[in-house]
Amino acid sequence: MTRWSRLGSWLRTILQRSRMENEMDAELRFHVEARADDLVRSGVTRQDALRRARLEFGGIERAKEECRDARGTSFIETLLQDIRFASRILRKSPGFTAVAVLTLAVGIGASAAVFSLVNAILLRPLPYPDSGRIVLPELISPPGVNLGSEYIPWGQLQFRMLTRDAHPFQTVSAFQNDSFNMTGAGEPTFLDGFRASQEFFSSLGVSPALGRAFTAEEDQPGQEYEVIISDRLWRERFGADRNILGRAVELNGYAYSVVGVMPAGFAFPRAEEMPSSFNFPEEPQLWVPLAIAAEPKPGPSELALIGRLTPGVTIQQAQAAMDLITKHAEEQDHRWTGWFNTRVVPLQRQVVGDTRRPLQLMLGAVCIVLLIACSNVANLLLTRALARRREFTLRAALGAGRARLIRQLLTESLLIAVGAGAVGILIAHAGIYFVKTLGPSNIPRLREVTLDLPVLAFALGVSLATGMLFGLAPAIGAARENLVDSLKEGSQKSGGSRISPRLRNALLVSQVALALVLVVSAGLLTRTLFQLLGADGGFNAERVLTFQLPLPTLKYADQDHIVTLFQNVLERLRAMPGVQSAGIGETVPLGGEGESTVIRTPDHPAASQKEMPFANFTIISPGYFSAIGTPLLRGRDFQETDTKDSMPVAIVNVAMERKFWAREGALGKQVGPGSTRYPLLTIVGVVPDVKHASLREETAPEMYVLYNQKPWPSMLNMRVALRTKAAPAGVTESVREAVHAIDPDLPLAKVATLATLVDDSMSQPRFSVLLLGSFGVLALLLAAIGMYGVISYSVLQRTQEIGIRMALGAQRHKVFRMVLGQGARLAAMGIAIGLVAALGVTRLMARFLFGVRPTDPLTFAGVSLLLLGIALLACYLPARRAMRVDPMVALKYE
Amino acid sequence: MTKPIDLLQGTLDMLILKAVSLGPLHGYGVLLRIQQISRDRLEIQQGSLYPALYRLEHQGWIASEWGESENKRKAKYYRLTAAGKRRFQTETDKWNRMADVIAGILSTTPEEV
Repeated sequence: MTRWSRLGSWLRTILQRSRMENEMDAELRFHVEARADDLVRSGVTRQDALRRARLEFGGIERAKEECRDARGTSFIETLLQDIRFASRILRKSPGFTAVAVLTLAVGIGASAAVFSLVNAILLRPLPYPDSGRIVLPELISPPGVNLGSEYIPWGQLQFRMLTRDAHPFQTVSAFQNDSFNMTGAGEPTFLDGFRASQEFFSSLGVSPALGRAFTAEEDQPGQEYEVIISDRLWRERFGADRNILGRAVELNGYAYSVVGVMPAGFAFPRAEEMPSSFNFPEEPQLWVPLAIAAEPKPGPSELALIGRLTPGVTIQQAQAAMDLITKHAEEQDHRWTGWFNTRVVPLQRQVVGDTRRPLQLMLGAVCIVLLIACSNVANLLLTRALARRREFTLRAALGAGRARLIRQLLTESLLIAVGAGAVGILIAHAGIYFVKTLGPSNIPRLREVTLDLPVLAFALGVSLATGMLFGLAPAIGAARENLVDSLKEGSQKSGGSRISPRLRNALLVSQVALALVLVVSAGLLTRTLFQLLGADGGFNAERVLTFQLPLPTLKYADQDHIVTLFQNVLERLRAMPGVQSAGIGETVPLGGEGESTVIRTPDHPAASQKEMPFANFTIISPGYFSAIGTPLLRGRDFQETDTKDSMPVAIVNVAMERKFWAREGALGKQVGPGSTRYPLLTIVGVVPDVKHASLREETAPEMYVLYNQKPWPSMLNMRVALRTKAAPAGVTESVREAVHAIDPDLPLAKVATLATLVDDSMSQPRFSVLLLGSFGVLALLLAAIGMYGVISYSVLQRTQEIGIRMALGAQRHKVFRMVLGQGARLAAMGIAIGLVAALGVTRLMARFLFGVRPTDPLTFAGVSLLLLGIALLACYLPARRAMRVDPMVALKYE
Repeated sequence: MTKPIDLLQGTLDMLILKAVSLGPLHGYGVLLRIQQISRDRLEIQQGSLYPALYRLEHQGWIASEWGESENKRKAKYYRLTAAGKRRFQTETDKWNRMADVIAGILSTTPEEV
């Protein structure tokens, strides 16, 4: 039945009900009036006649009620009656109702929030038409060669070879990130963008909202001066001018004309959606044609590919077709062997990428919370049903059918679940808002997350099922019971409760066990966070300001020009009163992955070209290490006396020294880029390993070279680091002025203190701790409520027994200890089971941990004690109550 | 005129079925018809008539539809259904047998025992 037809039948029932009421009214009115007519005819006045007719008829309302009964009551009516009755019952015990509703609401809210995240991030298709066909053909490194990353960028030649062969794509495009300095319109702005070949937008299936995509003609060298901008750039920079098409803008000194504006929200590819080794910008703002030559020269380039599979082609078939292309390439030129291995990855999987595991962690945690909440409510309902056994037997004795009793209980559970659902929606909304605002920025598709109705329905369903299952069990039992016996015995010690304590205890033990698993996990993550906070990143983040200094390609075409600029900048910055030291480097600590390259070491010549080692290759200036606070371990730092005419020098990190010169030390050894076109450098110093992307990373070998000794790659995107004397925020403006005094067209990008970078790199683990920690606290709270409920009920049940014990001379503190002991035994069982479960679960968390083993005894012991303490605390109140039992009252009670 | 007697438990249904078996009637009409046939010797609680009508309709012995009364008012008319006719027949037989038996018992003289 569809939702609408169901609604229709419900409405019909309601409408029918009111029609029947109306007809009944009309019929009875007719009767009275007809009788009155007859009386009038016999000579009575009209008024008198009506009065007499009514009197003769008797109680109209009672007749109506009997008519309704005779007709049979409708489902809806009984339901309304049930609901009225159930809400009266629930209102009578506000404590129970509040705890049950809140417990379930927390479970429903938390799980709805997390399932919404999972749904939006992992399950929902990407916001591109027919997105299942969009794939990333990735180039992967040869087996056994460690490049620091699995992926290697595509070359222009390879892309051409691919497009000329029989490839499995309807459209395929190459793209590469680039930075653009937009000048000539106000303050020079540094913009992240992409150079993309013609079929980029058609591969994604997205067209510009305004204007058009690139043409094939524009995707040729010399013709590429067309730009498509993002909706955001269009609004922020061009005031959403609809006449922008054809307008000229200056990018890196060249004149481009705007041909299109992308729809709002389009920003492909975002950094978070792509492998992190690509080092893509967070949110691209513009796209220009890639313009590869028809016959590109071999050589390194940094392309990534995106393709839309030909309709009907599966991933496996696409992979097979790509493997064939690989084979053709290797047959053509054996130098490709090993360097043309591809892997076709669905875009969806790539986007989800590394987020899958943290989300699974969250999913696991929230499932535990939901389980605890459900078992808690189950326990509450069981306890309550036991307390109400007499009521039910009485009602059964008075003639209530079993079905009717069960219906009544179901209605109560339903009401609780509905109330919990309503509160749960609020909690879920708050949770999603919380994740969106506090969550790490590298969660892909976070902006697409909304509260999902199906998800909410699922959570509500789970809680309803719990309510029904555990609300019903005692009702069935009660209805089956011998009425007379139950009534005679009284509710407190009747036979049926022999099974239930076992069930309730089992539920309680599992709650404690589940809570332990969750809190141990949260504890391990917390320790990880503290380990990270104390981790040595190889630098000192105090009072360091960093920014990027992207140079316009046209203006700074030759290296000498760049070196002079950097010298001037450094000189000016160092002359500023607030600056202690200043340096320039390709990267700053935790500012992102560095460039890695093939190197040669004459001491350890590689057997073949294929086996040449890799190392991070970082260009820096003198003063860089003192600016970022990296101490020199051995040898000397770069100095102003190292010039392009003096001996070429290098500094290496400890990881590199350990890898190549573990015994003899690196000082004085020679190393150079893979190509013999570049001279060998002499190692003059050794520094600690500096972390690039995260404090938990395994540092790769790294060599530092001097910016003024003709280093090999470009220096168009260098970073500046300043160690200041006071808080770095104070100097930002004067730094900007100092740079603009040298070249007013230079934009300062990514201005941030080093402390902020450290903080950002910590956002993911911190968020995990926050999330799992709050789930852990919830679990503890719920387990404590459960413990309190079970123990206080058992005290209530044993009041008479306790009274007898006391009358026979039991000491009060012994009674107190007895009750505490009961709780402690249950808690200990839960803890024991939980510890075993936690050992299994935490093994799966190993990759989230840093500096702490998954079986960390400190965490396990600490959490066990914590849980035991909370359990005892929860037993304290009921135990006190037991201690104060007055034997006389207890014995008279029955 | 003798004082009207109260109805025996369970006999109202039968009387209603008899009344409507003579032609469709509205509720007040049923009342009048029974009083007329019984020559006012039976006292029918007007309030209990309608629950009985509703019960019989719910059981399917009689059916109802809205029509116009003799004085041009909208009224709900009841008629006997086929099932009701059969039911009325068996009820009548049962009643007659029962009345015979009871009458036989009550008229027994000491000599006959």
